This record gives sequence, C-alpha cells and structure tokens, in this order.
Amino acid sequence: MPLLEARNLSVAFGPGAVPILRNVSFSLEEGRVLGVVGESGAGKSMIARTIAHMLPPRFELAGGEIEFRGRSLTRLPERERRALLGKDIAFVPQEPLTGLNPVLTIGRQFGEHLARLSVPRAARERLAMLMLESVHLRDPQALLRRYPHQLSGGMCQRVLIAMAFAGDPGLVVADEPTTALDVTIQARIMRIIAEMKQRHRTALVLITHDLRLAAHTCDEIMVLYAGCVVEHGPAKQVFGEPRHPYTRCLALANPSLSGERRELVALSDHMPGLTELAGIAGCRFASRCPIRGESCEAIEPQLALQSPGRRAACHHLDRVAGIVAHAASALAPAPAPAAAPVLRVEGLTKRFSEGRSIFSAASRDVLAVDDVSFELRANEFVGIVGESGSGKSTLARLLMGLEPPTEGRILIDGRPLDPADAGSHRLRIAALQMVFQDPQSALNPRRRVASIVTQAMEAGSRRATWTQRLERAHRLLGDIGMPEDSALRYPAQLSGGQRQRVNIARALCAVPRVLVADEIVSGLDVSVRAQLLNLLLRLKGERDIALLFISHDLTVVRYLCERVLVMYRGGIVEAGATRDIFERPRHEYTRRLLAAVPPDDLNSRWAGLEVPADEIEESA
Amino acid sequence: MIALASLDWRAAARSPRVLIGAVLALAVVGCALLAPWIAPHDPEDQNLVASLLPPFWVEGADPAYLLGTDGLGRCVLSRLLYGARVAVYVAVTASIGAMLIGGTLAHLAGYFGGRVDWLIGRAVDVWMSFPPVVLSLILMVALGVGVNNVVLAIVLVDWTRFCRVLRSEVVVVMHRDYIAAARLVGFSHLQVIVRELLPATAPLLVTLLSLEMGIAVVVEAILSFVGMSVEANVPAWGVMIADARTTMYQTAWNIVLPILAVFVTVLGFNLLGDGLRRTLDPRLARGA
Repeated sequence: MPLLEARNLSVAFGPGAVPILRNVSFSLEEGRVLGVVGESGAGKSMIARTIAHMLPPRFELAGGEIEFRGRSLTRLPERERRALLGKDIAFVPQEPLTGLNPVLTIGRQFGEHLARLSVPRAARERLAMLMLESVHLRDPQALLRRYPHQLSGGMCQRVLIAMAFAGDPGLVVADEPTTALDVTIQARIMRIIAEMKQRHRTALVLITHDLRLAAHTCDEIMVLYAGCVVEHGPAKQVFGEPRHPYTRCLALANPSLSGERRELVALSDHMPGLTELAGIAGCRFASRCPIRGESCEAIEPQLALQSPGRRAACHHLDRVAGIVAHAASALAPAPAPAAAPVLRVEGLTKRFSEGRSIFSAASRDVLAVDDVSFELRANEFVGIVGESGSGKSTLARLLMGLEPPTEGRILIDGRPLDPADAGSHRLRIAALQMVFQDPQSALNPRRRVASIVTQAMEAGSRRATWTQRLERAHRLLGDIGMPEDSALRYPAQLSGGQRQRVNIARALCAVPRVLVADEIVSGLDVSVRAQLLNLLLRLKGERDIALLFISHDLTVVRYLCERVLVMYRGGIVEAGATRDIFERPRHEYTRRLLAAVPPDDLNSRWAGLEVPADEIEESA
Repeated sequence: MIALASLDWRAAARSPRVLIGAVLALAVVGCALLAPWIAPHDPEDQNLVASLLPPFWVEGADPAYLLGTDGLGRCVLSRLLYGARVAVYVAVTASIGAMLIGGTLAHLAGYFGGRVDWLIGRAVDVWMSFPPVVLSLILMVALGVGVNNVVLAIVLVDWTRFCRVLRSEVVVVMHRDYIAAARLVGFSHLQVIVRELLPATAPLLVTLLSLEMGIAVVVEAILSFVGMSVEANVPAWGVMIADARTTMYQTAWNIVLPILAVFVTVLGFNLLGDGLRRTLDPRLARGA
C-alpha cells in the first residue's frame, strides 16, 4: 500500500466551475521523493493545500480522493485530522519568516510544537536542541532564546525543517522551501532536507518551479500545466528526455551554466488563467504548443502510460523531439562595443548610519556600497551578480540618483554628475533609465498602459496631445511585442510578463543609452522569463543600448551578458568577461556562487550539496 | 481634479452605506438651499398667542405649525429648515478648509520626508496636545462670536486629523516604485505629488472630508448651544436646543427635534464616509 495516494483529485473555484486542478492522480511510497513542478498558477500549491485541508476561500474539492496510509484525508473527522497534521504529515512553508511568530522566542515556539506532539515537558528542551543540531545550527542552546528576526531567512527555514521532522513524520510537504532564499543557501537547505529525510525515512513532496532542482533532488517528477498533470515519471528521465512538449520547452527555456550558449525556447503568451480555462475544450497547452495539430484544440489528450513508470498527456508524442534550441550563433550577432564608455563609475561608496538619534551619540555605520568602480560602453550588456544584501540594488539607486552617494563620482560621457544639481538630473535621466524589479509596484494602477509607457512625454513643461502619445505608445508596444489594443488597458488587466514588458517600454520611451535593470526577471515564470530575455537580446540588436543587468541568477547573466561584475558585501570582488569568470573563477565567493547552481548534467554531482552544511558561516 | 475623476464612483454608488448616507446628506443640503421657499413661516416670526404648540401627531396641534411652536411662538419646522443652512455652511467650509491645510502639509511631509516631515510632525504633536474643546473655546474668545469664526476655529483645530492620517498613507504610497519611476522620467516634485500621489490618496481624502463634515456639524451645534456661534437672531440647531431647555418639561418635542436633526445629519455624513472608505479603497474593496 502506498503511503500517499491521490485519485482523480479535482479542485474548483465554487461549485460547478471549471476545475483549477483536474484529475490529478499519483502515489508515493514510503521514503520516496515526489517533485511537483510547474509555473505559478499551475495548481502545485493546491495539492499541498488539499493534503492540509486548507484550500483558499471559496475553493472546494470537486472530486477525487486522497489517502494517507489508506485513510481518506478528505473525509477525515476534524479531530483526527488535527492529530494527523503536523505530526504524521508535516509542512515546510515557502516564506520562513512568516512561518514563525515574530514575538515569541524560537524555544517557546519549538516547545509549543513539541507539546502538541505530546512530548513530555522534561524532554522538550533536549529534543529541541537535538533537532536543531541535526539541521546543523550551531549553539542551539543560545538559539532557543532568540527571536525569529534575529536569525537570517536560511536559519529560520532550518528551524522550521527541524520542527517539521521533530514528530518523526511519515510525510513532509515542502512548498517551494528555497524560493525566498539566496542561491548559496538553496543548496544547503536541500541538503539538510535530504539528510533529515534519510534519517527519519520520510517521504517527501517537493513543490517547486525549478525543473533542474527537482531533477537533482527527487525520485519522481510530476509536471503540472494549468491544473493538469502533463507528464509523470522518474526524475532523471523526465528531465533528460522529456516526452511532453511543455516539459521539453520548460527545460529548453532555462539557460544553462555550462556548455554552448543556446537560444532559449520561449513559449508565446502565458498560461491560461482561471477565467480563460472555461473556454478551452481540448488540450490546455494547445494555444502555446509549438507542435500542435488540428485535433489538439478539440480533443483533450489523456494521461497515458508511455513506458513503464512514465505517463504523458499529448496527441503528438512522436513530434516532441522536433523542438530544439538553436545554437547561440542564431542570436543577434553582438556589434563590437564602442571604445568610449557611456557610463563611468569611480570609487562609488554609500554608507548608511544606523542608530544615530538625539538619545545616543554612538552610531553604527553600514557600508552598503564600498568603493565600486567600473565602465559601461554603448552596446554592452554587463551583469552584476551577488546575493541579497551585497549592495546590488543600492548601487542601482545610486546610479539613478535616487540616493546620494557618500563618496565617489558618476560620469556620463566623461561629464561628472552633481547629485544636487537639476541640470545633472536631466542629463542623467536622458542617458540612463531604470527598469524596476516588481512591476506590480512600479506601474501606477490608476494609469492606462499608453499613459504609463509615454509618461516621459508628460514630464516637465512638455505638452504632448493624447493622439501623439497613443501613437508613440503603439510603436513602443510593437517594439516589446505586445498587441496594440493593450494600450488602453490598466496594469491590473495584464499578466505578470506583460506588466514587466510595459515596465521596460516606459524606460525605452525616452530613448536612453543605458538601461539599469534590477532583478527584472526574478519574479517571473520560466517560460515568461525566456520571452523577456530574448526581448532584451533583440533590443540590443535593434538599438545601440547598453544594459546593466543586476541579478542573483548566474545562468541568466551568462545567457545575456558579455561582462560580469561579482559583488560581495558592497564591493566588487571579481570582474571580467563572462566566459572567463564562469570557466575560471578566481575569487572564493564566485566559486561558491557557481557551485550553488544545480548542474545540467545529472551525472555530475551538484557541488553545492557537497559543501558541509555548517561550513559556511551565515550572517543574520 | 484628475484625482477625483479616477475614483471608482460606480462601485461606490452600489454600496448601501453610500446610498443611505448620500440620501440623508443630500436631503439636509436640499433643506438648507430651499429653506426660504419651503419654510411655512418666517423663522423669527413670534406668535405669542400660539406658543408651545405640539407637533401635528399630538392632540391639540395647529395644522399651520406642522412641528409646533417654541416658547416664543416661533415655527419649529421653519427654524429647523433655516438651522440647516448654518449647519451645512459650517460643515462644507470648515471641512474643506481643514482638508486643504492638513492635506497639503501631509503630502509635503510624506513626500519630502526628513526635516520637512520632522517639522510638520512635531507641529501636529504640539497642536494635538491642546484639548480640542478648550482650544476651540479659547479661539472663539479670541476671535469673537460669529459663524465664520466657528469655521475658522474648526479648521484650526481639526487640520491635524487630516495631516496625521493622510501622511501615513502618503508614506505607504511613497514606497511604491512608480513614484521613483515618475521622477526618473523627468517629473518635477509638484507633478509627482499631483499626478501620482494624489490619485492614490484621494479615496482617503474624500472619506476624511465626509467624516469631518459630521464632526463640524456637532461642533457648530455645541458652540451655538453655548452662544458662541451665530448672532441671537439667527436660527441654528444649537440655539434651538438651548432655547428649549426652559420649556422642556412642558413640550419635550422642542428639544428632541433639533437633536434629531443633528443626529440624522451626522449619521448621513458618517455613513457616506464609511461607505466611501470601504468601496474606494482598493485594499478593502477586494476583500468585500
């Protein structure tokens, strides 16, 4: 008997509505790891929520059954469910900081959790310390007296993992356990989860958007698209030779860290949302599928056994191998960068003073950006990589004049900018434009798209007529690959990827020579991210534009940029051509960043997993 | 005015709170505007033969005086209608005045931050540490009696309410990247405040305005009750309540009716304000 078995599980928004999760079946044996992979909105989290019996408001189970050790989880009386959840079935949340109560100490929360597991009072502290030690947290005694905000995100996640495994559960459900954390910590957290799983012989459901991560850490992978399972099979096979066109596109939409650079396969459009699903009769992937045939939009393919242990739902499995990525030579050939730098930064430093007030004379200074110098030429794409807190975003704000630098100069075409001078501000924004990280926050929800992208025509004493602006907006939307009729929509009516395009179009309106892009693809799904990366490359071929691309994701930087600057604790520790840095990293920190990314080749070990979990010190 | 046009008035009009509130408030405003035409008598006309008549539903009423007469034989209905003029005048001018001062300072404080914020914040702190009733009484003594001085007193006391609440909203909006983005496409400070910030704070502004109208009506009634508002020969609800005290054991209606008028007016403005807050604020509207 399998440990967890789901049969035709369906979840819908209200009775009689189109199911957001449809006919999902799978089974999980004891001690095995199932990876549930899909983009946001695919229904991954709904599976976890169904197990926990915590569907969001107005969502309900429309059919099917889910059993744990032969007992139905859907029909369990409340009392028995409470006894089961947290003890036999434990959860690791996505946001470690919201998973812990900020006003209680770790010891208090761990104690309460153990009390629920009916551990006798006398044994609680010892067990808590033992569990914290097993997730490689140093000095657990001191840790128990601390509050969540005194720990880093990675440490909080480790505490939560320790709590989840404290009850010796049969099943742990981890919903994107590393998404909110830095790259280098991701590998460590996955290693700890793997260790704990081994020690407690626990089965694991790992929900993630990262196919490569799942391939490295799971036994089986189930790929979800728009609420349907499209492919299911052994992890290495699903990743290595995907049978379903969606899985294949997903794998090819991910830039790699080694080997030849290939053009990313970018699916058009986006995954159908809740309201769009109602109009789809056939395959839910058909509208974006590169190999669709006539029957696809009319008849829904069934998930069928292809070979032992492998299931896929597609009418044209034989054509899947035809989806290939072009070699990078097919990408727009990079024009040689001009000789004179557009932007030059000399010894830029930003110091924040903390704790200085009228009550205490003593202050603690934080060096957010420490003596940074670099040049950027026209037509050059330069990446800045580093973890959160390395000063990347502060650097962007300094460049744009949103913060005044403590020391150092910024020169545009050799002319230094004076932060206090209005003429300098005009000079700066004529040459430099910024694309913000979160389009949700960067687009005024009360303006129409046309008004947002042509906002520069409204600035100062400029008086463009609405017709002029609409015309310009249409051209800009064409440039970024959006339909003209989106000009009159509001940001709330767009998808995440479209919003980020609008965000880019606004920066392009003033025809800048340098774009400063701060983590502009990190919040996006893999297939949408590939669209945007290809868009940036196309823009580079079409106009003489330089890009300063700030990102924590090394694979994306490798795909996009010719040069890389590695930032660590406010300073640049390594700089050079992308190829050199990725093939022969010199600085210890660069090596650590590279090792943290799961490799494409499943046979080579993921180096991040090799690093002993307690070796790297982590600052809170 | 772009700010007001961009609000979702249609959603607001569907809310029962807004509808009831708007009907009550409009009724009071209508009475105030039309008082000279719909009032059956001159509010100051004394008919000493017919003093202390009860309203029409009580035995012994005179159909010429629908809501009865007071101790001097003046028509209560006419006085209520004319009293609405004072109430509405004070409500509208005082709340708009308080909004202009408080709202402007709030936007400046929240937008520029730093020293400007500190200075305005401390000014509000000092201002609010005076008890409001004492402050308004002192102001009335200094300014002298008169309905315009009542307006001035309310503005000077209540601008802090706008300033406090709006400033925190401005600070929240300032954290959105579109404010920085507007600066980066070349908007001047004034353009950012008027075109980006104001549309976002407008729902709160409208709500506070509506609530302030209710407060102004009550304050005016209190000040005219103690004789510090209108001149003795002008009918106002506070004056009517004060006059009726001497005869309240003979006809309670004389004191109940003006109190009811104040009650209905304030209820109308508050329902309107609360309803607008719920429907215009996108954060609350989504949950509803």
